[in-house]
This record gives sequence, structure tokens and C-alpha cells, in this order.
Amino acid sequence: MVDKEKCTGCHQCELWCGTEIASTSKDLARAIQETPQPVPRVYVEGKPFALQCRHCEEAPCLDACPNGTMRRDPETGLVYVNEPTCIACWMCVMVCPFGIINPSSSLKVAVKCDRCKNMGYPICAEVCPTGALSLVERKDYRKKKF
Amino acid sequence: MEFIQKKTADHAAEYFLPKAADKGTKLAWDRFEGQLPECGFCESGLSCRDCLQGPCISNPFRDANKMGVCGKDKDVLAAQSLLRLVLKGTMATLDQVSDFAEGVASGAVKSKDKAAAKKIVAQIEALLKDGGAALKGAFPKGLLASWEKAGIVPQGVAKDLFKASQKTEGGIAGVDEILSWAFKAALLGAFARKLQGALKQAVFGASAEEFEVNMGVLKGDAPTILLYGRFSPVLKVKIAEAAAKKKVAVMGVCTDPLLGPYAFAPVASYGSQELPLMTGAVDLIVVGDQFVNPSLVAIAEENKVVVVPTETLQGQDPEAFAKAIVDKAAAAFSFRRSRLRDIPEAKETALMGLSASGLAVKKIADALSKKKIKGIALIAGTNNVKFTQDLPFVTLAQEFLKNDILCLCEGDAGVSLAKYGFLNPAQTGKHCSKAVAELLKAAGKKLPAVIDLGLAENGGVTEFLLALSAAAKKPLGELPILACFAEANRSAEAGEALGLVAMGVSTFFWPCLPVTGGPKTLEALSKICKTKFGAAMVVHTDKKMEPLAKAGMILNVFNRVPDPSLKDHPWTDWKK
Repeated sequence: MVDKEKCTGCHQCELWCGTEIASTSKDLARAIQETPQPVPRVYVEGKPFALQCRHCEEAPCLDACPNGTMRRDPETGLVYVNEPTCIACWMCVMVCPFGIINPSSSLKVAVKCDRCKNMGYPICAEVCPTGALSLVERKDYRKKKF
Repeated sequence: MEFIQKKTADHAAEYFLPKAADKGTKLAWDRFEGQLPECGFCESGLSCRDCLQGPCISNPFRDANKMGVCGKDKDVLAAQSLLRLVLKGTMATLDQVSDFAEGVASGAVKSKDKAAAKKIVAQIEALLKDGGAALKGAFPKGLLASWEKAGIVPQGVAKDLFKASQKTEGGIAGVDEILSWAFKAALLGAFARKLQGALKQAVFGASAEEFEVNMGVLKGDAPTILLYGRFSPVLKVKIAEAAAKKKVAVMGVCTDPLLGPYAFAPVASYGSQELPLMTGAVDLIVVGDQFVNPSLVAIAEENKVVVVPTETLQGQDPEAFAKAIVDKAAAAFSFRRSRLRDIPEAKETALMGLSASGLAVKKIADALSKKKIKGIALIAGTNNVKFTQDLPFVTLAQEFLKNDILCLCEGDAGVSLAKYGFLNPAQTGKHCSKAVAELLKAAGKKLPAVIDLGLAENGGVTEFLLALSAAAKKPLGELPILACFAEANRSAEAGEALGLVAMGVSTFFWPCLPVTGGPKTLEALSKICKTKFGAAMVVHTDKKMEPLAKAGMILNVFNRVPDPSLKDHPWTDWKK
């Protein structure tokens, strides 16, 4: 979840997501030199506000995907892209209401946040210096007073 | 963010860590943990605050903000980050030199060699304005010719620093040009250090001295003043003079320990500078700017230690100021009598401040040419909280000495090594291989395992290296000498490293410099070092590398074993 009051727009989440999740080397200095350029799964836009996948309960991307590449993990409920089967039709990119799915033109796959499902804790929340990004249950987030 | 690593290798420092935790005192290590993860843009040199349209970053993973508002790309940003660091470092050196020259010119201290002191003060004054004419005589012709070819011969503050600083203001200077300015500024610093060393010798005389280091030297029964950081030697001498009359002990942290006839025993190295205050055995501290952590004020207050900043010297007579400091210390001692003085039993004898003139340089050059030793390693730098305090220094020294490599050290690295007996002449045999021990026996009287060349700002290393090059009749680039900044910290060290590379000494530098964000900058840096100076600047990006692995990597270079992790090898004759 994002606390928009705390987001300073420092882009650290983008940088470390690009390094830890999107790069093959997992080392910032080497990731910078990688081609194709690693594509982070989180974006800092406008206000500033860090945007990443909300893993919607009724996810339009799941409905739009023509061949079942976009999947929901039955255990965690997280929505993720099964990259080997992606045909790069970009339907998911078009229907996402938050605009967080990105087409990776070089790899021909849709790229989106899987909330670091293999790491236990999302890297963006781990590195956020102000604590604007945090992992909380949706029901707790609703109760939270900002 | 959690950061798991042993904090220090120094047992005396370790003794105070649980005490600090119990009291809730926050130390440098705690604050570092709070800072994690550090800003990746700044770390890679991809951020810029040079104008007020920013701050800007170059985002390596997005196209929208690849360039700053003014159009600086990642390579220019990275090159400028290095330039900025070097400029700051050179200014730190120049500040010390100008302070010292001003003090000597005012006649506040009696110089041992008046004529020489007067001449050097004039040279420093010229350097600080617009002429560095004396430089031509200070470096060998071969080096000057290569610098002239590269266009980086320093010409004085106005022509070097002012112009170099403008490269961050704007213009279309490319990476190569910006890096050349960084080298120029670094060489100006090297020259300033040389002048400061010469002035120190003219005023206070040459002074290698044996004394004890580490927190065990603190006194339980006498008022104690600690001098923190670099500040005017004139004030330091005045404090020592006044203190001697009143039987007040004066020691130092991150300050020049040798100012003939006085010696200020180093109580701690940079990383643990806050801890001596927790012993209760310090009554007053005099603090300069460089090397001083602002956290000292809070910890001093907690432990009821009087803090005197040297700034207040402005407009004051140093002698009267020194007397006032000593009186304050004596008063603080009686006021603090009831406080427990908890002094750890940790001290080690150290011989520090050796110089080329006190060593048989010819014998060292012979040992190199006859391949009795594999090479010479310069261990330099200051503690950095990113590494276990002192461990990189100690590991490198241990491994090098075992493997027939002569070790030199300077400044704070010397203090760190001294704490573990590497500078104790009685322990030479314990640390060294047979070849190194034999050479040390021949090179001087009762030399310790590692030769300390004094404070970095006194240019002892440059003096030694040039003397060695002259004795071996070879340029430095052809001698097997490597500089290892094992845990660097200050901007002046980045400048010093670049200066060493320009002299032909290949240099390893940790932590990585803020140039890693610009692939072209890294490439240009290695190309300049290789083609213009015949050396390499090894910026290693692996943060988790163990000290032993670092030592192994450097040993591979000494042994001419190709190492895949070192694409830019310092010596080209590996395969021979």
C-alpha cells in the first residue's frame, strides 16, 4: 500500500525493483550496464505517488488475457505473468485501470509487479526511505488513519 | 533495514558497544543502519544538485528521466560526481596547508630552519593564488612530461580549482575532459601535501617516534585533553606547551600525532572516535572540522565532557587560547573527579612517522630489482562504517607480509594497524615472512612490520615513492607497487588515489567511487589511467567482498596471476 503523504518521489523503489527483480545480475552497478534495459515493476508518477500492481480482486487483466498467461496464485491471491506463454498482445496493458502493466518491447512480454512473491517481502517496501510503501492487509489499510 | 556484520575488530571498541546499547547511546554503526538502504542514485553518481532546477537523477531503468533538466546524461553525471569529490578533497588539503602557512608566517612558532620555512610559506602562498611554479622542481621530469602531455599539470588554485569547479556548473565538457580536470585537481592536492610535509619538517624537524596507541593510553589520574581532527599545528603546539606546564595529558584522535618535540598518542581511529568519550577519562576535547563527527557534541554532553571548537580561535592569540583550554581542562578534571574512569586495558607500542630520509630506500629498491620481495603495498584510507572496523587493513597487511610483500601505511590506516601491533618494532618477526623481515632489518634500525609514513596530508608517501623511483632508476609505473585504499572514507582520499594513479601507482579503492552509474565514464577512467599514466584505478563494485578475498585478488596481481574479476589489470606483463 502507498501512503501518498509520505512519498517524496525519490524513485528508490524503481531503482531497486529494477535491480533486484528485473535485472539478471542483481547488482546495481552491473544492472545499469545491462541490455536490454531492466524494466522496473513499480513507477513513481505525478504527485509524486509510487504505483504498483494492486492485485485486484476482480482483475481486468485476468479477463483480458487471451491465453491464460496472466494468472492468479491460488495460495496468495497474487496476480502474475507467466512469461513463457506471453504472446505480447498487450491486452492487459490496455485494460489495467492503474496503468501499471508495462510492455517490454525487447523481450516481448508484459511486465508487472508480482509483489516479489518469491522473496517473502516486496523490495519496494523494504527500500522505501520514508515508509510510504508498506505491506499491510487491505482491511487494516482501510482502518488506517492518514 | 537490517545490516548484519561485525562492527569492529578492535576489542577495546567492542567493549563499549554493549555499554552504549544499554545506555541508548547511538553510535556511527547504529546511524548507518538507519540510513539503509542508501540512495542508489547518489551511490552510483547518478544524482545532481548543481542548480536549483533539480535535484535531478538519471534513472537507469526508465527513459523519461534518463537525463537531468539541463541535459546531463548518466556518464556526465558520474564523471562530475567524481570531480566534485576530488575538488572537495583537494580543498580539504589546501585548507590545512593554508592554516599551517598562516600560523608559521605569523611567527607564532619558532621554526627549526627559518630560511626553508620562509621559502615554503612563499611557495604555498603562490600556490593558493595563481602560481604553482615550484611544482616543476618537486616532481621528476618524466612524470611532469606525462602530465603535460595529458594536460593536467597543476598551475595553482585559481587556474585549477576555480576552472575545474565550473565544469559542474554547465558547458559541454565531455567525460574525458571532466576526468582530466579531476586528475588536475588531484595533483594540486598531491603538491599541496608535499609542501605541507616540507613545511612541517622545516618548522618542527623530522620526527619518527615510538609511543603507545589505543584507548589504554588514557590516564586515570590526570586531566586529559583530546585533540580531534585536523587543525592548525600552531594551536596544537601551544596547547601541548601549556599542558606540559600544568601536567595535563594531551592525546589525539584523527590528528597528526607527531609535532616535534610533542607526540599526541592516537586514542582511537576514525570509526570508533566517539568511544573514548565513553571511558569517562576524557575531560575536554578540542575539535577541528575534518574527520570530526558532529555526533561528538551529543556524546560529550552525555558524558559531561567539555567541547572546545577551534573556530573560536579566530581573532584570538593562539597562546592565550591554548592556556584557556588547558585551564578549562584542569577545572573539568576536578569537577569530574567523582566520575568513573573506565579505561580498557588495550594499548600497543607503535613507531610512526617514518620518512624516506630515515630509511635505506636504495636497499628497498635493490630488493625489488633482485626480486627478493614481490612488491610493495601501500595501505591507506580511514575507517568506513560499511566494513568491519580495521578488519580490511589488518587482513591485507597480514596476507601481504606473509607473502613477501613490503607494506607501507599512512595516516589513519597507520593508527588502525598500530592497534594490532603491526607498527610495534618488537613484533616484526611475528607478522613478516623471512624475505620481508630481512629487508626490514637492512632498511632501517628496528623497523616495525609495516612502515608508517606519517599523516597523509604530509605527503610522506609521495616523497618515499619518488625516492624509491629515483633509487631504482625506473618510473613508478614500472615498479611493482600497489596502493590499497581498503576502507576509504574521506573525499581527500579519493583525490589522493587519483594522484597516486597519475604517478603510475595502480590503486584499489573501496568502497566503490560514485562513477559506477556511467559505463562510459568507467571506461574513460580506465583508458586515461592506462594510456596516460600506465596504471589502473580499480573501482570494485562488489559490496559483500570479504577482506580475505580482497587480499587474494590483490595478491593475484602481485603474483601476475590473471584474475577474471580484474579486467583492467594494473600490469600488462602478466603473461610473461
